[in-house]
Amino acid sequence: MYSDYAYLIVGLPILAFVLTIFLGWHLPKGGGFITVLATIGALILSVGIFKEIFPTDTIVHQSAHWFANFNVGILIDPLAIVMLLMVSFVCTMIHIFALGYMDGDPGLARYFAEAGLFTAAMLGLVFSDNLLQLFIFWELVGVCSYLLIGFWYRKPCAASAAKKAFLVTRVGDIMFLAGMILLYTNMAKLGLPEGTYLLQFQTIYENLVHLPSGQMTAIALLIFGGAVGKSGQFPLHVWLPDAMEGPTTVSAMIHAATMVTAGVYLVARMFPLFYAAPNALMVVAYIGGFTAFFAATMGLVMFDIKRVLAYSTISQLGYMMLSLGAGAAVGAAAVGVGIFHLVGHSFFKALLFLCAGSVIHAVDTNDMREMGGVLRSMKWTGLTMLAGALALVGFPLTTGFYSKDEILVAAFENGLYGLGWLPYAFGAVTVLLTAVYSFRLWFTTFDGEPRTDYGKHESPWVMVGPLVILAICALFMGYPTQDTFYDYVGNNFDHYGVDFDELAVVGGHHIEHEAAHEPFIIKILPIILCVGGILIAALFYSRWKKLDPGIVTSKNDPLRKIVLRRYYQHEIYTGWLAEKVVYGLALVSNVFDLKIVDGAVNKISKLTVGLGGNVRRVQTGVIQNYITAIVLGLTVLLVVVKLGMEVAI
Amino acid sequence: MISNPISLMIAVPLIAMVVAFMTKTRSQARIVALIGSLVPLAISLQMFMEFDKTSEIMQFVESYDWVPSLGVKYTVGVDGIGLPLVLLSTIVSILVVVYAWGENTRPNQFFALLLLNEVGVLGVFTALDFFLFYIFWEIVLIPMYFLIGIWGGPRKDYSAIKFFIYTHVASLVMLLSIFALYFTYRTPAGGRTFDMLTLIQATSDSTLFSPMLVNVIFLGLLFGFLVKMPAVPFHTWLPDAHVEAPTAGSVILAALLLKMGGYGLFRVIVPMMPNVSEHYVTLMAIIGVVSILYGAFLALSQKDIKKMVAYSSVSHMGYVLLGAGAFTWLSVQGAMFQQFSHGLITCVLFMSAGTIGHTAGTRIIPELGGLADRMPKFAVLMMMGFLASLGLPGMCGFIAEFTVLTGSYATLPVYTLIVIFGGIVVTAGYHLWAMQKVMFGPILKKYLDLHDPHSYELLSMSILVFLIVYFGVNPAPIMDIMGVAAEQLIEGPVMTLAQMGVV
Repeated sequence: MYSDYAYLIVGLPILAFVLTIFLGWHLPKGGGFITVLATIGALILSVGIFKEIFPTDTIVHQSAHWFANFNVGILIDPLAIVMLLMVSFVCTMIHIFALGYMDGDPGLARYFAEAGLFTAAMLGLVFSDNLLQLFIFWELVGVCSYLLIGFWYRKPCAASAAKKAFLVTRVGDIMFLAGMILLYTNMAKLGLPEGTYLLQFQTIYENLVHLPSGQMTAIALLIFGGAVGKSGQFPLHVWLPDAMEGPTTVSAMIHAATMVTAGVYLVARMFPLFYAAPNALMVVAYIGGFTAFFAATMGLVMFDIKRVLAYSTISQLGYMMLSLGAGAAVGAAAVGVGIFHLVGHSFFKALLFLCAGSVIHAVDTNDMREMGGVLRSMKWTGLTMLAGALALVGFPLTTGFYSKDEILVAAFENGLYGLGWLPYAFGAVTVLLTAVYSFRLWFTTFDGEPRTDYGKHESPWVMVGPLVILAICALFMGYPTQDTFYDYVGNNFDHYGVDFDELAVVGGHHIEHEAAHEPFIIKILPIILCVGGILIAALFYSRWKKLDPGIVTSKNDPLRKIVLRRYYQHEIYTGWLAEKVVYGLALVSNVFDLKIVDGAVNKISKLTVGLGGNVRRVQTGVIQNYITAIVLGLTVLLVVVKLGMEVAI
Repeated sequence: MISNPISLMIAVPLIAMVVAFMTKTRSQARIVALIGSLVPLAISLQMFMEFDKTSEIMQFVESYDWVPSLGVKYTVGVDGIGLPLVLLSTIVSILVVVYAWGENTRPNQFFALLLLNEVGVLGVFTALDFFLFYIFWEIVLIPMYFLIGIWGGPRKDYSAIKFFIYTHVASLVMLLSIFALYFTYRTPAGGRTFDMLTLIQATSDSTLFSPMLVNVIFLGLLFGFLVKMPAVPFHTWLPDAHVEAPTAGSVILAALLLKMGGYGLFRVIVPMMPNVSEHYVTLMAIIGVVSILYGAFLALSQKDIKKMVAYSSVSHMGYVLLGAGAFTWLSVQGAMFQQFSHGLITCVLFMSAGTIGHTAGTRIIPELGGLADRMPKFAVLMMMGFLASLGLPGMCGFIAEFTVLTGSYATLPVYTLIVIFGGIVVTAGYHLWAMQKVMFGPILKKYLDLHDPHSYELLSMSILVFLIVYFGVNPAPIMDIMGVAAEQLIEGPVMTLAQMGVV
């Protein structure tokens, strides 16, 4: 019965968007409660649908004709429903938090309108039943992020960060677009019955085995390109840290919990395609592993509390990609693991961002060097953030622990099957780095003595409440749900009769069905690394400080400089590629156009009996003259025709 | 049910033009213009309702002898190619009248010219006789010439003349091709005819038209349409005309006049494509791709926001050419939809540029900044227009471009990929860059006393934005009739009116 109203999952937040944008200015709190209620409505619907489909193993599928060869439709299968639950739940928490956090901002109505639209776009992305519709919501998510990053548009850096986010993700998007077009063209060649919607996931899954293998690798890589842009994977991650110019709730919503997970979701959604193209999967694993490591190194040296979290997000997204990339070895179970990490991550990362927001709200700075000892005045914020940090580093028994452990096991098996050890190595080292930067953040912010004179007060309950709920999820969701979750989501593609063995044959690889036995050390290593990392952070940054960071690096250390300058990415991307190459090319085209193309036109017109001069003399400005001229012209035309006729006859 | 709706639709603005010309005050002139463009809008909507959307034959056909000795007839009618553009013309025409509500300089002439323009474009999109077609084609030059020449900016004389001569020369070349068709073909009764569909169908008869002759005729017609679109390298009249034209002139120039070139492609060029050398298909594809990319790079380098928008038109019209050249069912209907969608979007862009120009006093992007602070409503509408123009899904531009690219990949994969990887990001780049510089950031001191523009300007922009979103979400009403027309074009051959049984 709930599934009959599935369209309202997107409809309600859209309605909230329309209401707040037109009426929000006249309502208390900018009409924020409309957005909150709409999101809660979406959550209730999602829960209702989940209850309908969960035990019975059914899926919801509705579809209608749209235009030409394309349809619109809703597809709610295990993969989609867990995402719907997560997105609507986390967004509800964040919107409630925002009621307190954004209070007093003159653009409040605009904020809640855009936040509502964002929620709608993200939910729509998740429940799309075809690739085109997914792409459309994908882009809408992008534009909402553009609007929300640039929310404080009067700040030049915010406007500029918004533009950067849009353009960099756009680079990924065109790859996605190209992949989709390639897929469509290949599907069209199969000669399916007329009226088949070629971009519907079900159609794609069913016909994958007939597609040419080389084309599939290309399509998979292009689609992964889209995911790289949206999910901040190397080398298109550069927009994400800059995106912290938006309000912190935006960072929590878009750049941690939901939007950036869209790329991971896309790869999971298209997993059968990737599975049939193992080379593409290998690229996913390498990019994921490298991104996890690369971003963590930058997270180690940032002083802006939000930027540390931004790099940590990139790093964690790398883990999710790594997990999916290891699917060549572990099969569709990889989807269950990757999505579990995705869901867990959105709980603790939303929590961490909101905590950071709560701190920033109170102390009025982003710079951790100006904080210190905040725990004394903000018990709730400090303790919930500790919970988030523990989950992030994968401390035993927290939600993050289970998924991270499984990801590393999958990556290890990937290595066992001869698909490369590097992704595993990156993943393992990153556990240590994650623990160090997370607790560097926590200790520097909450522990020790206040380093500046900042405002000391706990945030209001409307902000602390969501923190507590999220903290509970971050700590305790993992253990009771993990096995059911892996099964439920891992078997998602059984609903479509996807035969992974057959796909493996198409892709030219085969998997061992019996699980490999990884050495005990592989199981235990993440725990050692994580606890070790926390201890290291404690030695350097806590009140029991025994060591000075100076002993590891000095001010003039070239390596430190490179990391601090973020590997000179800004110089390369913006300074060189955008401003020099592209804009330079544009300027050259302009000169070429004025001097050569238009120059030739003017030359010709001058040569043609001084045409310009003659016409200028005729142009007297009296309208009668022109009418006369045109009547004359038409007469001449008729005479020419008549003469021509005579000649022809 | 109106009898002879097309003739009525053309006659009303023609009469209104005469009346408007003779009015004495601004309020009289604009009321006449409003009524004179409201009636055609109503008629075209009525036609759209009554139009049989599953049929590929010409509908609402009227045919009368005009100059029987020459085989000239007054024949009009619409099918899936013409009807959407008729709708576009009536919608844009009335919104331009609304936008220009406050025009002070010679308002009677100004509004009369807007109406005359509507007469011309409606005639072009409905005429089915080459002679009639050509007359309407030329009529359109007149109002635009005067709009630039009288209400234009500092270099108006140069731009007006350049516009007139450039497009006129192209029309003459097209005319030569029409004559070649006319003098080669004889009706079964032994006479001559200017009937478009008959002549186009005849080009597939190789006993009558040698391959050489068809190729020459094809190139002549193509040249005429390419200049109008305009496609690189025949585009240089466009930025000059736009920069100098008054806002209303720019809007109808970009939204309607350019569409005449695209209309010619579908009405004349595409049906002839199977009969001409394959090299010309490649040529069209290359010109299309170059227009898209080169136009985008030129737009990126502009300082004047209006010139930037002008070059963006070159870029977007390139999609029409690419889709037509790719010659698949999907690409052709996508290209048709691109015409419709660009017509709506470019209006918002030129209105934005115009409003910025007359409120802030400059259109130079680096001299502007932070306007959103003082003009919030205008900023929203402008941003919607810009996002639509860069191809944001949910708006009609995306539907068009996506369909063109998807359809074109099947026959022209390399060109399509060049467009995707070379053009789309740059297109997003110049739109966002301009938005950021003009609208965002701290407001500059000199603009502190700006405020949102007149409500009639906002109204007409709002309606356009609404339509852009509406057709982005629900393209089917327009797209489906285009699909029927595209199918007929691809499967060919063209049917004459007699074969359709409508005369």
